[in-house]
Amino acid sequence: MKKHKVTQVRHLTDSTFVIRFERNGMEFQTGQFVLLGTKGAVDRREYSIYSGENDDYLEVLVREVDGGKVSSKLKKLKAGDLVDVDGPFGFFKFDPQSFQVQQFLFIATGTGISPFHGFVKTHPQLNYKMIHGVRKVEEAYDHDDFNKERVTLCTSGEKGGDFDGRVTEFLKTETIDENTNCFLCGNSEMIYEVFDILSEKGIPTSNIYTEVYF
Amino acid sequence: MKYHVVTLGCQMNMSDSERVISVLEEAGYQWTDNEEEAGVIGILACSVRQKAIDKVYSRIHKWNKWKNNKNLVTFISGCILPDDHEKFLKLFDITFQMKDLPELPKMISSYGITTPTHLNVGIDPHNENIEDFWNVQPHYQSNFEAFIPIQNGCDKFCTYCAVPYTRGREVSRPSKDIIAEVALLVAQGYKSITLLGQNVNSYGLDKKGEELTFPQLLREIGELGKRMKKEFWLYFTSPHPRDMTDEVIEVIAEYPVLGKQIHLPMQSGDDKVLMRMNRKHNMEKYRHIVETIRRIIPQATLFTDVIVGFTGETEEQFENTRKAFDEFKFNMSYTAIYSPRPGATSHRWVDDVPLEEKKRRLHQLTEDLRKHNLPYNESLVGQTVRILVRGEDRKEGFLTSYTEGKLTIRFACTDKSMIGQFADVKITSASDFSLEGELVEVAASC
Repeated sequence: MKKHKVTQVRHLTDSTFVIRFERNGMEFQTGQFVLLGTKGAVDRREYSIYSGENDDYLEVLVREVDGGKVSSKLKKLKAGDLVDVDGPFGFFKFDPQSFQVQQFLFIATGTGISPFHGFVKTHPQLNYKMIHGVRKVEEAYDHDDFNKERVTLCTSGEKGGDFDGRVTEFLKTETIDENTNCFLCGNSEMIYEVFDILSEKGIPTSNIYTEVYF
Repeated sequence: MKYHVVTLGCQMNMSDSERVISVLEEAGYQWTDNEEEAGVIGILACSVRQKAIDKVYSRIHKWNKWKNNKNLVTFISGCILPDDHEKFLKLFDITFQMKDLPELPKMISSYGITTPTHLNVGIDPHNENIEDFWNVQPHYQSNFEAFIPIQNGCDKFCTYCAVPYTRGREVSRPSKDIIAEVALLVAQGYKSITLLGQNVNSYGLDKKGEELTFPQLLREIGELGKRMKKEFWLYFTSPHPRDMTDEVIEVIAEYPVLGKQIHLPMQSGDDKVLMRMNRKHNMEKYRHIVETIRRIIPQATLFTDVIVGFTGETEEQFENTRKAFDEFKFNMSYTAIYSPRPGATSHRWVDDVPLEEKKRRLHQLTEDLRKHNLPYNESLVGQTVRILVRGEDRKEGFLTSYTEGKLTIRFACTDKSMIGQFADVKITSASDFSLEGELVEVAASC
């Protein structure tokens, strides 16, 4: 566990923010996560790395959880504060060169967009499509960092996205090439449903990669 | 001065306690079975269940009361969650992590002289000095069976488990030290040796390119077995299906000293439950491993771990676990009723399967296991098998033993000198969870 200095906290909505901190030489592969907590705190939580492999800083995307022991403390951080960071960990690693067919579909709900933000920042020329499910339009976290042509925003709580409804409803209407490599990140209910939908559409389970947010 | 150590939990803690005992004996302390006689009492804690932690609290409150009447130094180590660690700092005289074990005698002798902060070390998730612990020569509790730790910590973050938060990061012990310990034990006549680790087959992955991989380590031990020309069985536990490669299975098949028993935790037979458990393997992967084992080592026995009633497990999902039992026909399953473990991710979730239903599922799987075991065990009747004699059986006049595949066999014999020895037994009868046989060459003393 190492101490890293916070250099920026960027609030995206009332409850969601990006913490940027010094990288201090940490090597990672995009898709991995770190354990993060405020300096000296007993509790820490897992957060996917939001920044790219080539950035000289580390970023994580955090949503404040009601009554959360960690996220509420992280929200109060400001530049100059220290955080405890351990890692990287995890197996949701992404290297497009390791795939025969480099055609990718990313499906996220909420802050599950975080690893995909890292994927795209690391590999800007990627051939991908992304479906992002949120409740409100304001939760389209940093969509400017993605190619708008490739992203579908599904909003279930209000109109104004590209699709009014849940990710799963949108997905059912889509045709997906069976060679597509599908990456899923978000809550377990979404992942269960999407897993079934993709299987029904003929995507082999070996082409489905999941990272469940708990 | 006399000392006593209470060890709670798994084989890792049991193995750790062998080194704790060794350090204390080396420093001149003498073991006592009677806690009340001891001047130094320690506990190796387990955080897997709340019950185990409750035991720690009840013991320390009792020991602290004894301090009114006698001099007593207490210490704690083992698997401790950060939250509990904060509380133990106030209750125990000494807290330390295993990597600091060689310093324990110094900490005890400094007690009362130095300040408590020097005796209470914070939890550091990095196990950088863990080699100092591994270098302690353990005080083995058996003279024919031994456990050898080959790694410490876990990076897998299964949602039901707190080990990544108690034992820290995965660190592999140097292979040369592991092989030297195996060689020493074999030379001393040990017959059963088990390599221990939280994810034993991810051995070496933390030191890629600098250290052997797990199959390479097994191969080295297999070669050692050939050179030493001594009979022994080497096992490992627990592997993680994610890191179980075909190469591991091929190496086991190749070397006679590598025990033909594979413990492969499945945890659930349902892909969605596995996702929720954050297991990082699915049934397709698990099936591939089992098929490979059956193809390459058809005689191997297969053991597993399963949790029933995990948060959100539906009847249909449980039925998938039953189907997996039908398909894989395990020889043994260590089936546990799910209970939220403090510090684990799933502890924050609603434990929504009623206890009675969990018990029903446990009972059902036990019945399924029984159903598959009986014909398998009956198929062995009439065969002569090699066994390792482990001790006296509950049935008077019998000794108990296990086969290379760790199936339990008892046979009529009262000669205790056979305990710890290999022998050949002809299997005469079978039941669902055990076998009975008779010695092929009956010792005169039996």
